[in-house]
Amino acid sequence: MIDETSLDPSPDDFQDPLENYEPKEYDDPLERALVEEKVTEIKATPFTSIASDATVEEAMRKLGELHHSCLLVEENGGLVGVFSDRDVLKKVALEYNEVKDRPVSELMTVDPVFVYETDSSAAALTVMAVLGFRHVPVLDLDDKIVGIISPQRVTEFLVSHIKTE
Amino acid sequence: MKLLDDMLEEKVSDLAIREPVVADTEEIIRHSIEKMRASRVGCVIVVDEKNKPSGMFTEGMLRELLLENPTVIDERVGDHMVDRCPSVKESDPIFHVLEAMQSKRSRFLCVVNDDGVLVGLTGQKGLMEYVADHFSGQVMVQRIGCTPAMHSREGA
Repeated sequence: MIDETSLDPSPDDFQDPLENYEPKEYDDPLERALVEEKVTEIKATPFTSIASDATVEEAMRKLGELHHSCLLVEENGGLVGVFSDRDVLKKVALEYNEVKDRPVSELMTVDPVFVYETDSSAAALTVMAVLGFRHVPVLDLDDKIVGIISPQRVTEFLVSHIKTE
Repeated sequence: MKLLDDMLEEKVSDLAIREPVVADTEEIIRHSIEKMRASRVGCVIVVDEKNKPSGMFTEGMLRELLLENPTVIDERVGDHMVDRCPSVKESDPIFHVLEAMQSKRSRFLCVVNDDGVLVGLTGQKGLMEYVADHFSGQVMVQRIGCTPAMHSREGA
């Protein structure tokens, strides 16, 4: 039989596994920001969403009224797609009269790549530069929409950190 | 070396410059749309007879025009383009791209040679790729996907 008391470590035996940890030092403030600042440090609001059963024409009008180039399409509070100027170019422009009254869910980009609000700001750059998506939805850990990162907002983030050098 | 130093030293020609979609003012918008679709580029650069940029027609402008008049796609690009065409020289430092994008609030920048002739297209996409490449150790290691991490992860 094992003597359980012999398994209890005494406080004197405790060794902090991080006691020799030295945080990485960065030469560049932007590199530090990309790693250490959350994606929400890049401005992610305001954002605009639309119900998935709204029409394509309604979605286009909303884009124009708000001077945005991308809408988040939601269903029951969850993200189901995005609808952007690129979708208009690719799927609507030459077929406008045939598709303008169809639900936006039929012409949106489905299953968009997103980031969580707890991800590092580098994650947003990955989606844009590596995967090639211009707009990056931001979700909270309950998968609710909290914002969107646009290229313009990333540019402002880059400028603000480059100018602090 | 710091990013700013590199951006001041390296030239626009060092960026990944995209092939622009070009048109003259007489081109019908329908044809421009087909070319933009095929090239996956969100704008057409309108050039003069010397291949110098004289205007721009973007997918955002297209969306606005369609709502006003769906038959606009059968009209001339020259009747609906904007006359301004933000540009940088290929010999400019990359930092000029950042400055121009911020000050002119344009997604697209024409790249021209010293004679003002169009040689390419850059903008937000080119700049993002440049920064990502500079900080590849931070940017290329991110776990990105469209499946929530918590749902795809097994075990504790």
